[in-house]
Amino acid sequence: MNTLAKFIKEQRQTKPILLMTHVIYGYPSIDESLQMMKTLLEKGASILEVQFPFSDPVADGPVITNACHQALQSQPKLQQCLKDISALGAAFPNSKVLLMSYLNPLLQYGFKQLAEDMSPHVGGVIIPDLPIDHHKMLEPLLQAAVDPIWLIIPGMDKERIELVCEHARGLLYCVSRKGVTGQGVASQSAHQQLQQYLGEINQHTAVPLALGFGIASAADVREITGLVDVAVVGSALLRAHQSAGLSGFSQKADELLSATN
Amino acid sequence: MSDQGYFGQYGGSFIPEILYSSQQQLLKHYREAMADPSFIADVKREMQQYSGRPTPLTHCPNLSAQLGGAQIYLKREDLNHSGAHKMNNVIGQGLLTKRMGKKRVIAETGAGQHGVATALISARLGLECTIYMGAHDIARQYPNVFWMKQLGATVIPVTTGSQTLKDALDEALRDWTSSFEDTHYLIGTSCGCEPFPEMVAGFQSVIGEEVKEQAMAQFGAMPDKIYACVGGGSNACGIFLPFVGTSTELIGVEAGGRGDGVGEHAKRFNTDQAKFGISQGYATMFLQDDQGQLAPTHSISAGLDYVGVSPILADLSDRGLVRMTSALDTEVIAAFKQLMLGEGIIAAMESSHAIAGGLREAASLDPSQNIVINISGRGDKDIFTIASALEDQPFKDFLRSYLEGQD
Repeated sequence: MNTLAKFIKEQRQTKPILLMTHVIYGYPSIDESLQMMKTLLEKGASILEVQFPFSDPVADGPVITNACHQALQSQPKLQQCLKDISALGAAFPNSKVLLMSYLNPLLQYGFKQLAEDMSPHVGGVIIPDLPIDHHKMLEPLLQAAVDPIWLIIPGMDKERIELVCEHARGLLYCVSRKGVTGQGVASQSAHQQLQQYLGEINQHTAVPLALGFGIASAADVREITGLVDVAVVGSALLRAHQSAGLSGFSQKADELLSATN
Repeated sequence: MSDQGYFGQYGGSFIPEILYSSQQQLLKHYREAMADPSFIADVKREMQQYSGRPTPLTHCPNLSAQLGGAQIYLKREDLNHSGAHKMNNVIGQGLLTKRMGKKRVIAETGAGQHGVATALISARLGLECTIYMGAHDIARQYPNVFWMKQLGATVIPVTTGSQTLKDALDEALRDWTSSFEDTHYLIGTSCGCEPFPEMVAGFQSVIGEEVKEQAMAQFGAMPDKIYACVGGGSNACGIFLPFVGTSTELIGVEAGGRGDGVGEHAKRFNTDQAKFGISQGYATMFLQDDQGQLAPTHSISAGLDYVGVSPILADLSDRGLVRMTSALDTEVIAAFKQLMLGEGIIAAMESSHAIAGGLREAASLDPSQNIVINISGRGDKDIFTIASALEDQPFKDFLRSYLEGQD
């Protein structure tokens, strides 16, 4: 078993669910974003997803899109980003740091170079505009033990789920059905739907599952505890930062993490 | 075209997973429709009876004599209903939307021509219509926005990024991500994921097919050269594709803008600022910086102000089957005036790039040769831009007194 999956399984021995938190490199400035990452790791966030901003983030909503455009004002460089987050990964061996970006910035950097510069402290990469059909592009990452993290979407047909599961490593990122998380997962039928969705995926893979989109509070995290290994927090921390700065960010992180003990 | 929407190394499908099933559904319906003679007949009927096809091939005796070179002909896509070639594509995709049983279309637009064409066909076919348009483009093309709204479309200003066509395309993709069950993304140019480049170029190819027949009827030969402006590339694909591999030379004219600096033009060829990249659903030559961030663009014509280019044209250029050149904003204005005064035709700023490219080369050709310039759209929509470029004071005075009269 590879390191990311192994790490998640080990952590899950003592925690009911792990938290995957999200920070945009360079927002609102490079220094402050690094401070936010450090804060999360110090508080014990198990997984940190660092988004390297792209000018055309088609899979992101307005909050993250606008933050990415602001982050680009400071002209972040991927090479420096990888150095910075590798240092964090090395300094916090009890957490895992992952990279998220769109295909073009990574393509221009080159996947061979990316593999070299991510390994060994940045363990995985999420690329929302790279469909599973192009998995061969990421072969250099596999050779460097960096895990491509693929997405599963509600309504995906069985054959395609099997295709993704065949290539799944480290972690599978399952997108929750629209309107499920954050608005009454507790309701019997929504919970059942979610169970069915995740159950179908579990039939095809032993790789840990993460569930994301719309998880914004400790209550949301508790609602999916027991169903998946990892709860993905997307824009909630960013919104907390926007409304109340670093202290609001820190408070939100405490709230979310309280649901993981 | 090769498997899975590739044109050489360009094209393909690079979309978020959530759009996969919708794209598969579109592919299936598109293939079925194109094999169905009744669908083809419907498209043809609407093109003729709604849009007014065939559009004429107009000889320019005065300009040809002035330059003393090749005989200059214009393919008059400006005479389509809506005033641009965009109508060809929206008829095809509008009918396909109905065939798929979808109730709503969304579209991105730069200059607003595709937005207006989409709003027109939506009204005719009874489809709900939402148009995404960069806030920057809305500011410079308001008359088109006015018509879209009057036609019942919802126009959503896009305020992210550079607030132009590429950002409108991103926003339309985001809409589609959450609306694909009842919505078709009616993309306006031959870009994006499979099957959009092939489909849009296919519906536009009626332009080149007509030129073939008209050239034989009017001058008894195939054209020696064909010129078309290249933004996303739909009018160029439309007039070029039926001639690929023949003895007719095909020349694309990009927006040279104000100069060669980053952000001053929209050239994806003949510049080291554009590189192979993958974004917005497909692979092509994108203007981008060393970090792979898509670069800002400029053109006097909003319709050519785009950061990528049709994968079909990128491939044809690589294979030496299309020659790419460009025209500066100043050359475009000069060519626009020359055609207007010489032949009494008001061309769009986009199409005026093709005119600039054609007139530049016509003089050195022999009078026995024939060139065709694609007039992709008419210029009266550009009245504000042109009046401003020509520094026409009476027009400004008119606007001022018009506004005062409204109070």
